[in-house]
Amino acid sequence: MRELAACISLVSLTLLNFSSAAASEPIDFASDILPLLSDRCSLCHGPDEESRHADLRLDLEQAVDAETQNGGLERVIVPGHSASSELIRRIASDDVSEKMPPPDSNLSLTNAEVELLRRWVDEGAKWEKHWSFRDLSVPVPPPTSGSQSPLDAFVDVKLQTQKIVPAPIADARSLIRRVTLDLTGLPPTPAEVQAFWQDESPGAFDKLVDRLLASPSFGERMAVTWLDAARYADTYGYQSDVYREVWPWRDWVIRAFQENMPYDQFLTHQLAGDLIPDADLNSKLATAFNRLHRQTNEGGSVEEEFRAEYIADRVNTLGTAVLGLTLECARCHDHKYDPISQRDYYQFAAFFTNIDESGLYSHFTNYVPTPTLDLVSEDQQRRLTEAEANVSRLEAELSEFYAKAGFDEAKWLALHAESEVANYSFGDASDSISVENAIKDSAPIKFVGSPSPIAGRNGTGVELDGENGLTTTVGGDWDWYQPFTIALSIKPAQIHDRAVIWHRSKAWTDAASCGYELLLEDGCLSAALIHFWPGDAVRVVAKEPLPIQSWSHVTVSSDGSGKASGLKIYVDGLEVPTRVIRDKLRRTIRGGGANTFDVGHRFRDRGFKGGQFDELRMFSRDLPASTIAVLAKNGIEQLAETVEPTIAQTISHQETLRSELLKARQGIAAIRAEIPSIMTMREEPGLHEARLLIRGQYDRPGEMVMPIVPDWLGPADELTSNTRLDLARWLTRSESGKRHPLVARVVVNRIWQVFFGQGLVATPEDFGMQGQPPTHPLLLDHLASHFIDQDWDVKQLVRHIVTSDAYRRSSAGLTTEDPENRWFSHGPSLRLPIETIRDAALASGNLLACQVGGPPVKPYQPEGLWKEKSGSSYTRDVGKGSHRRSLYTIWKRTSPPPSMTIFDAPGREVCVAGRTTTQTPLQALVLLNDEQFVEAARGVAFRVLAESSNSASERLDRLAEILLARPTSTEENKILLSLLESQDKQLRQSPDSTQQFLTIGDFDYKGAAESLGISIDPVELAAWTVVSQTMMNLKEWVSP
Amino acid sequence: MSPNESLNEQTRRHFFGKSVCGIGTAALGSLLANDLTAGDSNQPLGEGAILDTFHHAPRAKQMISLFMSGGPSQMELWDDKPMLRKMNGQELPDSVRRGQRLTGMSVNQASLPLAGSSFEFSPHGTSGTMVSELLPHTAKIVDDLCVVRSVFTEAINHDPAITFFQTGSQIAGRPSLGAWLSYGLGSINEDLPTFCVMITKNQGGQPLYSRLWGSGFLPSTHQGTQLRAAAAPVLYLNNPDGISRQARREMLDALSSLHEIRARETFDSTINERVAQYELAYRMQASVPEVANLSDEPESTFELYGEAAKTPGTFAANCLMARRLIERGVRFVQLFHQGWDQHGGLPGGIRNQCANTDQASAALVTDLKQRGMLDETLVVWGGEFGRTAYSQGALTADNYGRDHHPRCFSMWLAGGGSKPGTVYGTTDDFSYNILENPVHVHDINATILHLLGIDHKRLTFRHQGRRFRLTDVEGIVVKGLLA
Repeated sequence: MRELAACISLVSLTLLNFSSAAASEPIDFASDILPLLSDRCSLCHGPDEESRHADLRLDLEQAVDAETQNGGLERVIVPGHSASSELIRRIASDDVSEKMPPPDSNLSLTNAEVELLRRWVDEGAKWEKHWSFRDLSVPVPPPTSGSQSPLDAFVDVKLQTQKIVPAPIADARSLIRRVTLDLTGLPPTPAEVQAFWQDESPGAFDKLVDRLLASPSFGERMAVTWLDAARYADTYGYQSDVYREVWPWRDWVIRAFQENMPYDQFLTHQLAGDLIPDADLNSKLATAFNRLHRQTNEGGSVEEEFRAEYIADRVNTLGTAVLGLTLECARCHDHKYDPISQRDYYQFAAFFTNIDESGLYSHFTNYVPTPTLDLVSEDQQRRLTEAEANVSRLEAELSEFYAKAGFDEAKWLALHAESEVANYSFGDASDSISVENAIKDSAPIKFVGSPSPIAGRNGTGVELDGENGLTTTVGGDWDWYQPFTIALSIKPAQIHDRAVIWHRSKAWTDAASCGYELLLEDGCLSAALIHFWPGDAVRVVAKEPLPIQSWSHVTVSSDGSGKASGLKIYVDGLEVPTRVIRDKLRRTIRGGGANTFDVGHRFRDRGFKGGQFDELRMFSRDLPASTIAVLAKNGIEQLAETVEPTIAQTISHQETLRSELLKARQGIAAIRAEIPSIMTMREEPGLHEARLLIRGQYDRPGEMVMPIVPDWLGPADELTSNTRLDLARWLTRSESGKRHPLVARVVVNRIWQVFFGQGLVATPEDFGMQGQPPTHPLLLDHLASHFIDQDWDVKQLVRHIVTSDAYRRSSAGLTTEDPENRWFSHGPSLRLPIETIRDAALASGNLLACQVGGPPVKPYQPEGLWKEKSGSSYTRDVGKGSHRRSLYTIWKRTSPPPSMTIFDAPGREVCVAGRTTTQTPLQALVLLNDEQFVEAARGVAFRVLAESSNSASERLDRLAEILLARPTSTEENKILLSLLESQDKQLRQSPDSTQQFLTIGDFDYKGAAESLGISIDPVELAAWTVVSQTMMNLKEWVSP
Repeated sequence: MSPNESLNEQTRRHFFGKSVCGIGTAALGSLLANDLTAGDSNQPLGEGAILDTFHHAPRAKQMISLFMSGGPSQMELWDDKPMLRKMNGQELPDSVRRGQRLTGMSVNQASLPLAGSSFEFSPHGTSGTMVSELLPHTAKIVDDLCVVRSVFTEAINHDPAITFFQTGSQIAGRPSLGAWLSYGLGSINEDLPTFCVMITKNQGGQPLYSRLWGSGFLPSTHQGTQLRAAAAPVLYLNNPDGISRQARREMLDALSSLHEIRARETFDSTINERVAQYELAYRMQASVPEVANLSDEPESTFELYGEAAKTPGTFAANCLMARRLIERGVRFVQLFHQGWDQHGGLPGGIRNQCANTDQASAALVTDLKQRGMLDETLVVWGGEFGRTAYSQGALTADNYGRDHHPRCFSMWLAGGGSKPGTVYGTTDDFSYNILENPVHVHDINATILHLLGIDHKRLTFRHQGRRFRLTDVEGIVVKGLLA
């Protein structure tokens, strides 16, 4: 595929150095010298202290000035005297041992570059800050003529300097097609084209732009540009790549663009929407942005390793998408080129660490990784509030009842005994297979592995080896609202860092610990109820360690409130003081495929090695302290003895209340269960300990760092605290003199790129020293400053760009003076993004299912792609789901839609600030053979046949109007007519082929014809479909 | 000129109508694969190559990677450890583990019992290399192999480890080896992709991901093209049902005429590129099925590769396809075979894996050799990491499992200038640590690039302000692996 490799579109790779340093012009340090010093010298003489050679820095004026060579006699740079400057001597040297950069570095300077540096020194070696780190300027536009906008004045000045004649304004048809596709991602209808063509009023184009900006499709179109940067995908990524429901965030983006949310707010909400004053559901939802990175659930992964990875991804995304800086280069060491220290990097990272998250998502449940936001509807909220009030009322009533009844718990033993569901005494443990349950009709407990029967606390007990244990179905499926008590005697052999005593859960990190458990952590008892550890759980840990090598009776009771206050630990019948580690359980603790209760072991967790236990008993009730005291002290026989029949009425009232409370809590659980949730940011109270990671390694924490912004970049003063909100405010200051130098420049450049295919800065992801300097620095600053002055108004900026002459020029006839259109002498002629290409096909074929937002859909995709990689299946959504706009197509990171990646869509695994554009035979195959496009072409053909009964020649014009917004030329008409006739002839001879061709995809032309009351000749339709396809493969169709 | 600048230069040349992609694709004959002989650094590079010349004389001009996804156990295949059999059931000594990290799957195991291999090893070939009884066919070609027993990696989980092997980074977003080769060396055939990928069908196991053959930040032109055992061997290759090749030809002719008109009217010479892409697509519609159609292979081929080679999508069929693609000048063919992740039930599992791969892997090397192609085709076999000396889960008389082990594992190279009949590197008695000649993943990749005529430090792409390369900032060409 030789051409394939060669044909890279012009739009993509424009990394020329726009050196203005012709011999006559004075040298501009920022654009001519600094990039050279950075690119060729900084690797060894740059900001990174560790790799710095000869203690020499060439990225800072002060450093160079201060530096001396040869015993302090020779200055490295002597302004005005290249001959006395060691720098020049060394770069011009012929001596291989002296020459800089060293010949084997692959960084050698050309003669012209050496000369440039020499001239710079001779001209005084003037230093300036790197252009993008300088404050935003407010350039005075060159004098404008007539209605010319300042934007055009800046562009035209450059054109005039270079003596390039700009192309004329494009014709009306091209214009409306271009601007409609660019602003809405959809083609104009023939009627719209006609109306615009006929509207000769001076404001016609502005009116058109206003209409398009107000169209609901504008939000969908613009969202696509941000989804790449935000690495939006519908699956977690990494190898298992499970589906996750994050589309509500995508819809938030669509709305934000649609409603023209100012960009400062757009950023602030995404970075810190949970922290803003008056944070609401929407602003919190926006913070899902920081959780869209890949996540893993691969078995055996080290949780902390991946948590570090997630935080790094947030920082990298902030760098690329918002700052245009390659922050990630400073993750392992100081940045080699830009003045970003490794400390700066981890100070940025510290803003993003303080949330209650795990480095692994759950393999065994599909529960949403914490922290999460409940996407609660008004109705749900109302019902929830009601249910919660009901629970509070019943709780109050119950405690009042207990207070009044002068409740003597010991008298209730009989009642409590009735709630017993398991009693395993291990007296018959000698067969090592299972032990009967003393409770009638209740299941036995089985041995897993071979725990050893030993002399227990009371008769026979069991000893464990850390791998083996016992399992039973009893007590294996309680939810948080169901009260329970679990008691047993244990004798630990050692102080365990961690050991599982008992649990109901499928696994530890592989299931986010979902269930309930009793562990020993650093020798202390630790009880928990968990939906998703750590952010949706209750955990209490005993303050004192449990004695080792002696028996203790250990009881855990849970009162059904799901709160830490209701989760109690007793040792030898006495409640022990505990620390509350987590108290934020909200959702179910069931599920994940585990409904057994296990003792002593857990999948991929540390078991109760060398530990012994005995006398396991479970109750479906939270036994009060007095009963537990009896249970622990007097042993099992005592429990059922003391009965007080006189209190039957009181018992009945109590039981009614308890049962109502249970039901009410269950009601809350049911409402919570129906509320969808999404991963978001939720700041934990206080500061999370954040550390620099040596060499970027998760297991090599270094010095402590604080969440603070670098002092060399933008205004750092007046930061009152250190949260993500402060970070967002630092980025989006509007007061003059305090504006961030990068944020507005970066976004203005990116939006410019959306419409021109290339930015004013050709490296949208890198505004650092290694990036390209802007072609139009004044224009960039003008747009950026103006953007902030206009309150970060995105639609206004877009309007400003698309109503310019530069945008409206004809794209035909690029010349050698401006072959890549870097000076904007011509209008843009970029290959449309694949989303627009596919959507245009659907719209032209009248197939587009218009619905803004909602869950992702599964349109046509070749069979077996998901299966061959990961065994998962892809079932296409027939009908509407195959006809939604492309931004709703499900994005599976390990197997993204091939028709889209073939057209240069990135994999969405990491943040990407722009797409390259290539041209390959695979793209031809997609447009020619993909069911989606064949079906759409039939839709177009049907439309032409249905809408017009004119001659074939006139119909061809109609076809072109639909697809290209223009009629055909005589020559084109002739070619297409001849194709039509010949295809018609061939197909007429082969009814089977025609039939096959017409049944590709869902579009039912017969049904459509019927409902219109017309008849369609199948052969004619098939031939017209081929002709439509022909037009949909024209360059003009994909690159308007 | 930096690589990007020269890429740009090249793009500009296109723009001005230099005929590389012109209609008719004339003057391409001189670049056909058969005209390329290894051993001369001045020989022409492929079409679209970023390099101006090879950095040095290439030993291999093409490559096949047999990627054994999941992490094959070195102790069962290539690294015989009698000590493990002797100490079977005893705890892994701390002096061997040295506190090195384990995965979360076995780190909490109460005991880490050493597991001796159930399989016998014996010396083979004149080199006397010890090969497992599981690989009877590969054992016969051992004198053609350069076995490396001392490869090591940094990652301990599948996704990061396999991504690291393919792209030189554990983090997603970097180009794969094949993409780098396409970018650096370009294409040496007229109508097939430069970089082809095949996955054994219905194999199951640890998932694979398209990033493993992706182009990362390189232009997507360089991403691997998957050939599949399906009605359309390349995605979207087949004309829609009901559209004949003749009808398609007519349509393309009309399309081409329309493009010519437009090119004339707008002076847009890039339209020619588009036409060329459509012509290439049309040619691919014939050339790909031709490669995939094995009916022209004599029965002796199937005797060599095994009957399974007759079933499309099997590893054997893919090996045969690899040879056919290499014959037709495809630069890089990569096979993925899943299922080597034997955490439990290892003896049975690995026996099955070997039964499905041993004969065809050996056949591929033999076949290339018989056809005189092995000298210029580098074949590399291996997975993303090795497996532990201790048993994951219970060790019983006839069953055990092994967890991931990144600290040493085995691979082999054949042909393409690799050193035949050699064993490189030594591990300790437990195959836990490397004793001599460690070979990092970056070293393997540096050596592969070296054999293909590329200095791994000089094939770079500037992205986000930095010159990226496959081997990051590391990698040493391992001289001991070179013939």
